Amino acid sequence: MTRLVRGEIRKLFTTKLWLWLLLGAFAITAIFMSFTIGFDGTEGNPNPSLSTETGQRNLFAVAGSAGVFVLILGIIGITGEFRHQTVTPTFLATPHRGRVVISKLVTYALAGIGYGVAVVLLAIAIALPWVSARDIDLSLTENGIPGTLAGVVAGVAVYALLGVGLGALIRNQIAAIVGALVYLFIVEGFVSALPTIRDYYKYFPGGANSALVGAQQPGVTLLEPWQGGLLLVAYGLVFATAGTWIAVRRDVS
Amino acid sequence: MTTEEGRIEVSGLTKTFGTVKAVDNLSFSVPTGTITGFLGPNGAGKTTTLRCLLGLVGPNGGTATIGGRAYRDLARPAETVGAMLEASSFHPARTGRNHLRVYCTVNGFPDRRADDVLDLVGLGKAANQRVRGYSMGMRQRLGLAAALLGDPRVLILDEPANGLDPEGIAWLRRFLRTMAEQGRTVLVSSHVLSEVEQTVDNVVIINRGSLVRQGTISELADHHGHSVIVRGPELDRLAGVLPAEIEVERRDGALRVSGLTTEEVGHLAFVERIELHELTTERGDLEDIFFALTADAGPVDHFGGTP
Repeated sequence: MTRLVRGEIRKLFTTKLWLWLLLGAFAITAIFMSFTIGFDGTEGNPNPSLSTETGQRNLFAVAGSAGVFVLILGIIGITGEFRHQTVTPTFLATPHRGRVVISKLVTYALAGIGYGVAVVLLAIAIALPWVSARDIDLSLTENGIPGTLAGVVAGVAVYALLGVGLGALIRNQIAAIVGALVYLFIVEGFVSALPTIRDYYKYFPGGANSALVGAQQPGVTLLEPWQGGLLLVAYGLVFATAGTWIAVRRDVS
Repeated sequence: MTTEEGRIEVSGLTKTFGTVKAVDNLSFSVPTGTITGFLGPNGAGKTTTLRCLLGLVGPNGGTATIGGRAYRDLARPAETVGAMLEASSFHPARTGRNHLRVYCTVNGFPDRRADDVLDLVGLGKAANQRVRGYSMGMRQRLGLAAALLGDPRVLILDEPANGLDPEGIAWLRRFLRTMAEQGRTVLVSSHVLSEVEQTVDNVVIINRGSLVRQGTISELADHHGHSVIVRGPELDRLAGVLPAEIEVERRDGALRVSGLTTEEVGHLAFVERIELHELTTERGDLEDIFFALTADAGPVDHFGGTP
């Protein structure tokens, strides 16, 4: 299994995809943080102020948006094998296909931790100088911020699992990516906004992720961070198990 | 190596895709240390058979084994069987060397193996080029290099000559010969007999998913008979003295006699004092035999897309 994981890591780093998606993760983190800090305290902004505990936690929680790029990384990590037909040599080298899926889950979870740490470092590098320049006290060790930062890393890593699981389930790369994005940005948006339905938002992947990073949205109740984290891992494993179950049975032709 | 180790055995193999029977109760075997041509028109079920043999496609019935084991039960598959299935199983943005190195890592081979096999197929200079920039022939060679990575005793190659220029085909023939001289078992598929005719020991011909013929190249030719070609100034007289049931045909100023040996024709001419200028055996044209055997191919996709 170590050899398989090392092989997957090698696949990941012998194309440039990881770099482009890391730049994307940096860009979305930088943009969202700039908006959060830049519009802080302006009239009509419903979000909690940066001088509050919640406001500070929410600021760092936006780094969790980078998870969408890791989700795409995970999806391409497995659907790319089908798109470029490298799945044939991959399954020839490892006829027990479940082991291939497991090694991808491990590899992309590790990569997700790397991305998570990278965006957290970027978030800190943006927030500390900018927020203190506005005369707001910001300490990384207070106001539950350590928990939020750990939650961002965990959440981003779990999105990689979700991506691999989803990719195993939906082998068509475009369909898997478009489906995931439509779900995240449209379906989850509706669910969190509609009365009655939004009571269940906490059980959706987006809600679980919000809980994990300790973010709060007006009018939405969330699970405890650890519950959110476990729920996200469960989603990833359910997708991956279903995807594996299908991958083992489907013909490769 | 025991004689059974490299033996390929296909028995009663059946695979249906929807309502299409791609492989229909197919049985054949490939003995250790021989080159066998796996022939049939496009759509005959060659690729499906090979994919069943390699555990990529699950058959509806029957078995396909290598050395008595299903592919997925092989202890170290890459060191037992090397396979090349389609010429495009590469990530376009990865270099040829890195493609091979991925599978070195997965199989626990040293990275040096990647360069060794690249040199073996003559791709050493393109090793650090992205596969996107490879020609069809280079991709075929990279596929062969990948198949050779584990120095396997059995090679399974699906249409390796596809897309090769004449020079590439000549190179492939020499390559396959070398593989066989090293004692490897080679199963190579093709929809053109002439591509492999000079290289293979045995042929397995299938059509519409079923076995049409299995045997050596010479058995294939003999089975369909041969003729005697006779030239000389008195061919009309010769035709007159041949036994009535013998088939005789005039062609390009020569007489083509079927059903007699050169000895029999020569003796007859001697007895009748008929002058001869040529007396030779014409072996059945293999390509014609191949077409005759696979004539009822049904709807054929001439664009190479085999299901």
